[in-house]
Amino acid sequence: MTPTHDRIQLLAKACQDPSLIRFMGNISASDLSAWLDTELGHPDALDQFSPHGPLLSKATAPNTLLHIVSGNTPHAAFQSLLRGILLGSHNLIKLPSVGLPDLTDWIARLPETLQKMVETCETLTPDQQRKADAVIAIGSDDTIAAIQQQILPHQVFIPHGHKISIGIIDGDLQNAAPLAARDASLYNQRGCLSPHAYYVDESDPSHRGDALKFAESLATEMENFSQTNAPEPLNISEAGAVRNLRETTRFAATNSDSTRLWESTDNLDWTVIYQASPTLNLSCLNRCIYVKPKPTELNHHTLGNEVQHLSTIAIHPFSTATAQQLSSLPAHRICPLGQSQNPSIFWHQDGFAPLASLVKWQDLG
Amino acid sequence: MLHPHPCEDHLIAAIRDRLDGGESFNTLAMRVFRHQFQQNRPYQNYCKALRKSPDKINHWHEVPAVSTDVFKLHDIPVRSFPAEMTRHTFTTSGTTNEVKGEHHFPSLALYEQSITSAWDQLELPRPQHAVILTANPRHAPQSSLSHMMGTLSQTFASSSTWAMDTDGQLDLAAIHHAVEIATASGEPVALLGTAISFLHLFEQLERPLTLPTGSWAMETGGYKGTRRQMQKTELYALFKEKLGLPSNAVINEYSMTELSSQFYTRGIGHSHVGPSWTRTRVINPITDADALPGEPGHLVIYDLANLHSVMAIRTQDIAIAGSPEDAPSTGFTGSREGGETFTLIGRDPSALPRGCSRAADDTLQS
Repeated sequence: MTPTHDRIQLLAKACQDPSLIRFMGNISASDLSAWLDTELGHPDALDQFSPHGPLLSKATAPNTLLHIVSGNTPHAAFQSLLRGILLGSHNLIKLPSVGLPDLTDWIARLPETLQKMVETCETLTPDQQRKADAVIAIGSDDTIAAIQQQILPHQVFIPHGHKISIGIIDGDLQNAAPLAARDASLYNQRGCLSPHAYYVDESDPSHRGDALKFAESLATEMENFSQTNAPEPLNISEAGAVRNLRETTRFAATNSDSTRLWESTDNLDWTVIYQASPTLNLSCLNRCIYVKPKPTELNHHTLGNEVQHLSTIAIHPFSTATAQQLSSLPAHRICPLGQSQNPSIFWHQDGFAPLASLVKWQDLG
Repeated sequence: MLHPHPCEDHLIAAIRDRLDGGESFNTLAMRVFRHQFQQNRPYQNYCKALRKSPDKINHWHEVPAVSTDVFKLHDIPVRSFPAEMTRHTFTTSGTTNEVKGEHHFPSLALYEQSITSAWDQLELPRPQHAVILTANPRHAPQSSLSHMMGTLSQTFASSSTWAMDTDGQLDLAAIHHAVEIATASGEPVALLGTAISFLHLFEQLERPLTLPTGSWAMETGGYKGTRRQMQKTELYALFKEKLGLPSNAVINEYSMTELSSQFYTRGIGHSHVGPSWTRTRVINPITDADALPGEPGHLVIYDLANLHSVMAIRTQDIAIAGSPEDAPSTGFTGSREGGETFTLIGRDPSALPRGCSRAADDTLQS
């Protein structure tokens, strides 16, 4: 295995690839080093023994790390592979049947030293599965459950089941709308970090009707965003889901004040739905977003069963104090609106420390 | 019996006569649309939002179709008669947490007429000795499928065996007994059930069941509310292996709780066809216009027997429109008098709830 320092330099260079920057942002060598330092206590923790209380300890990365990735966006696959390369593991990636060209093209452009650390496959043999020291699985709850049944006692298992995100807006609607449009439009809403609903605070009497006003502003900004960032073409199934949602909503909206519909004209580019009900509904994706008045209490009772699948809550305006008030919700990340899709490499995805969860330790003393 | 509107009597008569009474489908469709526009305020509001009204359209193609999900909006029932006249409500199947669609009726006379007249019009075999693998309608009054089976049984069968108990378990002894009696009399057996109920039967049979000559089966397809899936070819291979029925002795029925008529095909690779009081279109959801010939799209069904709710239903099923030349390929021996044909591709995967990881379920399967 190459020394960590050398790997960091090579990886940092590969991170300057525009396709990776698009999904992961700018990542420098010092970022990678700081990441190791934060999670493992020392940037060289994988190469040498470092003080650990009265002991000396060295981290051991999995020899083989199996990544079972999904096809909705390459985002999670990039994150997973980045972690595996940084740790120095051999990375076996089980690709979805639809492929992940952004990822495989990036792998093809890696320097030879790093490329040797990565292997992709479209089908997984039982032998490949057995040889993995750690398994990272990204997929639906059913997929995760099926993989979990095959995990062997010696294997570390990191599941990333299906998740959804929301946003919470408390005033400053005009500035919030373009940020919310960006979060709801990027990657056509296909990732776990994509918001499905925005909750607008109307608790102050001066904010009565803000959710409806925000929905209207959001519709304008969804259109503006789509003018400069056209959505990817939809297949028949995706288009059918959007049409179905729109027509069902139109029926409800023509018969009740508690529902309103805004939609792009002559195409399916975006859809905004105001609903007075606080229940968190799954969007059909592809830039279809709900706007709702924020209930007094945000919990399982007011938001419904989907709340257990929360990944990220994007809030506006953001402050640590406001974010802490939401920490009782089961989301693992609370971030500023507009940053929903750009987690730091330091984030604890689904509550896991992404590097520390994968390593084992050897102690001296 | 209460009749909400003379339109119902008129339609029952028209369907009994297979629309041979001189009025065209379009004339009746415009009459039904006017009735529903007048009697169903939520639907009228929806039509107005789409700038459609009986005075502005003159062809069934233009009748606004409502999504099947509209039947789940319980606060806004899709009912073309006064609520206090509701006598029957069929609900969609699904998991406990799912909101279920509701289809209300003031009477089931038209519904039942549609079932039996379509059966005759499409020259389907009469189920003389029926073995029914669904719940008895007495135990499942909310199930439109059970009601359909009951109607077929009462209308056509000289003997019927309800082979599913109240817990949803198959009664194998009853099935064997019914087959023995039919065999002794030398008369064919008709096995009727959902695809999943047949799968359960096949799994439970210790040895293949020998059915009398001329026996046949009807499966309703779909695995809604279960995690089971099976290709039609695999399922029909099991019909052959476990019941000795060749694929052309197996009929598939396609319908849904939100409709009042059914569509049928026989064997594998054939189109579905409905009775003459139905029409279908296949819509490309990207353009919201008719799909090009041979192109898949979402199935929209126009069912005159759906008088009591809305006649035009936008399904979430994917199909390819058939041309009139496809008619002989429906597999039925009789001359075709029904609506257009379509090849059913299946339930749109996007119709299922999902969060991220849209394509993740194939990760272990590919």
